[in-house]
Amino acid sequence: MKKILFCTIALLTGIANAGTIEMKVYGLVCGFCAQGIEKTLRKNPATSDVVVSLEHKLVAISTREGQDIPDAELTRALTDSGYDVKGIARTQRSLDEIRAELKQEKK
Amino acid sequence: MNLFRIALTAGVLAGASTLAQAKPIAFSHGTTVMAEYGAGTMTEAQVFYAPKYFLSLGGGYLELESDLDHRRREITYARANYLLKRWNMEDAQANVFVWGGAGQAYVSELNEHEFAANAGAQIDYETRRVYASLKTDLQRADAFSHRTDTLQLGIAPYKHDFDSLATWFVLQGRQYTGGIHDGTEWALLLRLFKRGAWIEAGVTDEGKLQAMAMVNF
Repeated sequence: MKKILFCTIALLTGIANAGTIEMKVYGLVCGFCAQGIEKTLRKNPATSDVVVSLEHKLVAISTREGQDIPDAELTRALTDSGYDVKGIARTQRSLDEIRAELKQEKK
Repeated sequence: MNLFRIALTAGVLAGASTLAQAKPIAFSHGTTVMAEYGAGTMTEAQVFYAPKYFLSLGGGYLELESDLDHRRREITYARANYLLKRWNMEDAQANVFVWGGAGQAYVSELNEHEFAANAGAQIDYETRRVYASLKTDLQRADAFSHRTDTLQLGIAPYKHDFDSLATWFVLQGRQYTGGIHDGTEWALLLRLFKRGAWIEAGVTDEGKLQAMAMVNF
């Protein structure tokens, strides 16, 4: 019983924390680049939201609850869009937090 | 001075290894609709769809009207654009595009329609503050051969981001061969774009309107 409870808590924690994927992307220099990437990533059924920052060469996505997108699939999506992925990390900050940080930097 | 020589010099001065402009391929699975009014000498409209980030297919209409005599060409064409090479750098991107196509041209002095072929290339380099491109476009039929070479050098007063308005000041130099225009036509342009919408307008050294609008979706 304890084992089941532990597994359930671990699973739920994992789901809650695995929602944001941040990618460092080279070649992002204009709004058109970002538009194409956003369009491509939003087509993935596991994607719930996308943030792109040209300043930080950042493409961040949040995934739907309980879902993930493998690194290889993300790399392929961005490579097929014509850009180079330099790093992929799963992070704890939400896309709203990223948006807030980007907004704060502009002030 | 030859535009290619100007472009080469400008590239070296800017510290850029290659030269940039509105790209014939915006992004994979994207559609581009573009219209340009070139100082009364050139008017063009294009529609392209890109099944891949390196390929777009579509067509256009080009009207060339000589300001030296009464010659006029009305060319309707189908075209494929291909991204030959892209360099993605940390803060910059450079591209080499080529294209080719075929269509039909109305030749005013013969009052006839002829088969016409077109081919061209573009090399560009851009950061979020500096931008340069060199484009050459050849239209050829039995009755004519016209090449249009366009150089654009741009500076942005600030770095834009995805959701903000991009503002560019652009110097454009354009040469036509085949009796369309004599000498280099210079223009100063203000370019604005945000997300998928792009508009630019300015005046040539002869005080004529030069304008372009583009939408990507």
